[in-house]
Amino acid sequence: MKFPRIKFTKDSLATLLLLLPALVLVGFFVYFAISWNVVVSVSNWKDYSLVVDYSFGGFRQYEKLFADPIFLTSLKNNLILIAIFVPGTLLVGLFLALLLDQKIRKEGVFRTIYLLPFTLSFVVTAFLWRWMFNLDNGVLNYFLGFFNLTSDWIINPDIALYCVVIPLIWQFSGYTMLIILAGIKSIPVSHIMAAEVDGASGFYLYRRVIIPQLKTSIATAFVILIIFALKAFDFIWILTTGGPGTATYILPLYMFRSSFMDTKFAYGSAIATILLLLVMMIVVPYLYKTYRGKEK
Amino acid sequence: MKLHFNRILLYIILIFLAFVTLLPLWTGILTAFKSEQDLILTTPVEFPLSPTLDPLIETFGLMARPIMNSLVFTITATILSCLLGSITGYVLALHAFKGSNTIFVLIIVGIFIPYQAVLVPLVLIMSRLDLYNSLGGLILTHTAYGIPICTLLFRSFYAEIPKSLIMAAKVDGAGIWTIYWRIVLRLSVLPFIVTAVFQFTNIWNDFLFGLVISRGVESMPASVELANLQGGFVALWNLQMAGTVWYTLPSLVVYLVLGKYLIRGFMTGAVKG
Repeated sequence: MKFPRIKFTKDSLATLLLLLPALVLVGFFVYFAISWNVVVSVSNWKDYSLVVDYSFGGFRQYEKLFADPIFLTSLKNNLILIAIFVPGTLLVGLFLALLLDQKIRKEGVFRTIYLLPFTLSFVVTAFLWRWMFNLDNGVLNYFLGFFNLTSDWIINPDIALYCVVIPLIWQFSGYTMLIILAGIKSIPVSHIMAAEVDGASGFYLYRRVIIPQLKTSIATAFVILIIFALKAFDFIWILTTGGPGTATYILPLYMFRSSFMDTKFAYGSAIATILLLLVMMIVVPYLYKTYRGKEK
Repeated sequence: MKLHFNRILLYIILIFLAFVTLLPLWTGILTAFKSEQDLILTTPVEFPLSPTLDPLIETFGLMARPIMNSLVFTITATILSCLLGSITGYVLALHAFKGSNTIFVLIIVGIFIPYQAVLVPLVLIMSRLDLYNSLGGLILTHTAYGIPICTLLFRSFYAEIPKSLIMAAKVDGAGIWTIYWRIVLRLSVLPFIVTAVFQFTNIWNDFLFGLVISRGVESMPASVELANLQGGFVALWNLQMAGTVWYTLPSLVVYLVLGKYLIRGFMTGAVKG
């Protein structure tokens, strides 16, 4: 549809004015701040100093990173976290979604309960689970005590990282369930009926007809869970502060410690830049695939 | 789609999983009502022998001011980010132009970035603007970083408004702002509720921003104050859980009352910062 020329210009100006606040704020707080952070990471800003120095100091922070055992441990822990947390949460979430899809009574009540953990702050999750993990009086050891199976959970450096995953699965399963449930509801009934006419039923129907059609929602959940596992901070910071030793250190935690506890701002910024690159490796293909060619 | 297996078994599994999900909250709430003696005398899943309000009273004094702070900046930043997200989402959904899709994608990248990548500059910005350790600083920060998700949510809602309605208004000579003010805003009650509930929960639950840009009572968020209790009340689990109860209460009430809107928001946004 064509509009008179004058009208069109007036509208473009209005369009720009309406977009301006968001563009300025996002441009400044996201893109400018990210660039600023990169500048700090290659600056001469001295360790243990609060005096800002933006003069170019080369890439020595990045060189230091890959010789730093704590950085390498954090990177490794991040990858282990992804490898356990993401499939674990997807499986539980898928299971919950299939259960709730059985035309049960009180579906809304169960959905509200399963999603409840996801609405809690990570600070709260950490507090509740520190208590759950408590050696003498925690719920986990209380129940395992009946079988003489108590554990030292997050105090034990060998298993601490795996223990951290349990509350995270607890918190994110309901959310994954919701995404998958939305996917199930969007499958056209005709597809399912056609399969039933062909004699498919029960588990076969799920395995061959329903689950394959959930590819998009499972992919979405997959991406969101990986990104979360890369940038998780609050929860682990309060639950273990990265300990015992560096057993549960991950990149965001080490960045925070380097910048704000050790006062090594250039070094912390370099860790943050690496973290950003890792996240973008997932986000950019995802956004490209989701929004490409949708220009109206 | 129904699977043909035992319905009773199905409900047993459902109820068992609900029980597992609620267990940490159950023990947390019970513990908040226990005296130090009951902490030792009862198991973590049992009711207290002599229920007491002392832990809740003792922590209320510490949590009241931070909870007020959190309410002030959460509500303000929720309103501001919703308004900006609504206007931005409206333009990008209903007045698409060459490059508007690119602008949209560039904005929503802000949902995914790890905030660590902006943390040092953020502290420098806040000190430069004289907003470090102030409610204003938290409002500005949460508004700015809230715009991407609010834009995404509003754009999805507005994409469902019939294009013919907008076209008709244009033909009648209505400008882009008039269409927003006269037509779109009136259709926006549900989008605003969904996005506001979503944002309230997000901002209320934030810990990281509060941790780095607030230092004292003037702006300390409830999340950060609660984390501080951990150091002050080592092994006093009843006090730690009582603090947790206070901090969780407002967001829990929002979820129990407006949960269906939050679920709608999660499904539309499929994202959590």
